[in-house]
Amino acid sequence: MTDEQGKDPHKGLDVIGTHVPPPSEVNDTIVMGASILAGICAIVFAVGLTLGGPMIVYGSALAVGLLALAVAVRRYFAAAYPDIEGVEPREIPDAEPTRQEDAEPVAEVEPVHRRTVVQRMLIGAAALFGLSLATPVASLGPAPGDTLRRTEWEEGRRLVTPDGEPLRPDDVAVGGISTVWPEDAVEVESSAVILVRLSTGAPRPPTNLDWVVDDDLVAYSKVCTHAGCPVGLFRERDDALFCPCHQSTFDAARGAVPTFGPTARALPQLPMGVDDDGFLVALGDFTEQVGPTFG
Amino acid sequence: MTPLFRFVFDTLDARLRLRGPAREVLNKVFPKHWSFLLGEVALFSFVILVLTGIFLAMFYRPSDDPIVYTGSAELFRGRTLPGAYASIVELSHDVTGGLLFRRIHRGAAYLFVASALAHLLRILLTGAFRRPREVNTHIGTTLLILVIALAYTGQNLVFDLLAGSSLRIGYATLGSVPLIGESLIMAVFGGAYPGQVVPRFFALHVLILPAMLAGLLTLHLVLVARQRHTQFPVKGVDAQRYVVGAPLWPSQFAASTTLALVVGGVLAAFAVLVPWSDFDLHGPLVVGHASNAGHAEWWLFYVQGAITLFPAFDWFFPGFAVTHMFVFGTVLPLGLFGLLYAYPFIERRLADYDADIDNHLCSRPLDVPVRAGLVFAMTTFVTVLTVATTNDVLARGLRVPVEAVMWTFRVGVVALPLLVGWAAYARARAQVRRRQAAKPATVEPSTKVPA
Repeated sequence: MTDEQGKDPHKGLDVIGTHVPPPSEVNDTIVMGASILAGICAIVFAVGLTLGGPMIVYGSALAVGLLALAVAVRRYFAAAYPDIEGVEPREIPDAEPTRQEDAEPVAEVEPVHRRTVVQRMLIGAAALFGLSLATPVASLGPAPGDTLRRTEWEEGRRLVTPDGEPLRPDDVAVGGISTVWPEDAVEVESSAVILVRLSTGAPRPPTNLDWVVDDDLVAYSKVCTHAGCPVGLFRERDDALFCPCHQSTFDAARGAVPTFGPTARALPQLPMGVDDDGFLVALGDFTEQVGPTFG
Repeated sequence: MTPLFRFVFDTLDARLRLRGPAREVLNKVFPKHWSFLLGEVALFSFVILVLTGIFLAMFYRPSDDPIVYTGSAELFRGRTLPGAYASIVELSHDVTGGLLFRRIHRGAAYLFVASALAHLLRILLTGAFRRPREVNTHIGTTLLILVIALAYTGQNLVFDLLAGSSLRIGYATLGSVPLIGESLIMAVFGGAYPGQVVPRFFALHVLILPAMLAGLLTLHLVLVARQRHTQFPVKGVDAQRYVVGAPLWPSQFAASTTLALVVGGVLAAFAVLVPWSDFDLHGPLVVGHASNAGHAEWWLFYVQGAITLFPAFDWFFPGFAVTHMFVFGTVLPLGLFGLLYAYPFIERRLADYDADIDNHLCSRPLDVPVRAGLVFAMTTFVTVLTVATTNDVLARGLRVPVEAVMWTFRVGVVALPLLVGWAAYARARAQVRRRQAAKPATVEPSTKVPA
């Protein structure tokens, strides 16, 4: 018994039995085989989940992979490390035990048979599996494609008020602005447009004059090119559009180029015309990206 | 140790003084017995539930507002569904991996409850609840209540026809509490059925209950580590004073890692093969409709059995009422948990061993007659109530009137626990007597204090 050997019962663990496993080629082969299987399953799981393959494929890969990894871990430790039986005193020490720093700690038991290849394959398989478990992130949203860069505007689409009423050029007074939407797509934020009747006369370049109605009615995306806030304020004196969030200022008479503040890009101009019934329509989608620049 | 690991460890050790604690942790001795792994299975189930639950929560819509489903599931396309249910249809049919993770989540929930119950039985039958572990036993019982609360809130978040009935019964049970029943309904449901139950249960299921469970679980494990593990007697070692077993590194680490991987692998395999948690059969919750295929989840069968079997009564008093639903739907299930909390003290009073010393040795299920009798009787009681839930299915299968099945169970729920409890008690008594005759000096191995 430990006590009878005169050891300090608080010193830590005492080993009462050690069984050293014999080296085994067969076991190494099992560990390597199971590791390879687990690695393959990890790849199948990751690829299947990313591509949206059938559940039976990636689900089975997850199940088989985890079980193969279990076999690999079990067999690796059974063969590589000594089987230790130890005893530890039950008493909870009242004070911090005084441990001898030079005592041989079981914690630093090294493998008795170290085969680097086997160990690396196991660690590699486990790492691959861990990585593959991150792929469900791909399911959180569909591939974006161009959905976030497109708006609802297209050729012939009428400009309507928030109530869905189509607009004639006369509906906007001089020095006035109004927020308009594509017909049937009211309140799709990326499609918000601000309609401006300039008070300082005809627009100048870089405004696209083909898209100006009545020589002084222009339409710009309402979504600020800096951080995406609606550009809702208008200063009639110098036809300045003003974003309330970070004070970006755009010159509506000159293609809405930024004149002050943190944004670098002009507000995209909506290709606009008048249809046969006299209503304002879009001539197509914006030709530049609406809203903040995506990376 | 690899050079990289050693570098990281040495860097941290120089600042945090990790060497001593790390050695203590890695040297920690774990006694070996299969039944000690039941709690670990519960732990791994919880980890898997948290991981899959995070994924599910990204898609769940915690509202019963009606919306029109427009996804790829033909059965539901174009139909107006409660938002919560619609989001689960969408998750299952239109999100890659959604159905797999839902099924794993459901399977892990089943395993969580089952392994927690098995772990509880292990603690009871081996006497591991005795001094000095009463506190941890009570923490364990509280954990079981949290597990069942999580399972109940989770099953109802699906908001299908089954959840509809399950919620109604929860509603009726809450309302049955004398004097404060209706206030309890308002507190939980926020209004008349179904009320605000979806956002309420969502908050409970993903935030409040898991946080409580994680905190208590940590405390549970810290106490196990601090008080050391119980173990069965070991030849040649005074196991009352020393723990015997494999150290955490490498043996127990290998065993636990393997077990965790096996639990994950088996759950994934079941998820591929078994279509549990698929809801197409039941359809969405519709106010005013119940399904004949409806039943509680199995961990609540015993409550359903109790409120089905026991006789009807509503007693009216001035200002309040005491009902069948209150006594058998509320008092009885809570009473069973009360019994679990009280059990360490009950046995202390009844058993004929020295309960005032620290008992670290596990005993066999039949070593203490009083315990054997009570635990077997209570387990039988809960089992009969659980099986009684299937009375309508049994009646249909056996082609006998459901009334006959009910009366069989009514007799059984009284007679069987007494019979099984008495049989276990008698057998245990005989075994103890035999041992005493063979070795007059030994009373019961776990009660002996070494000189």
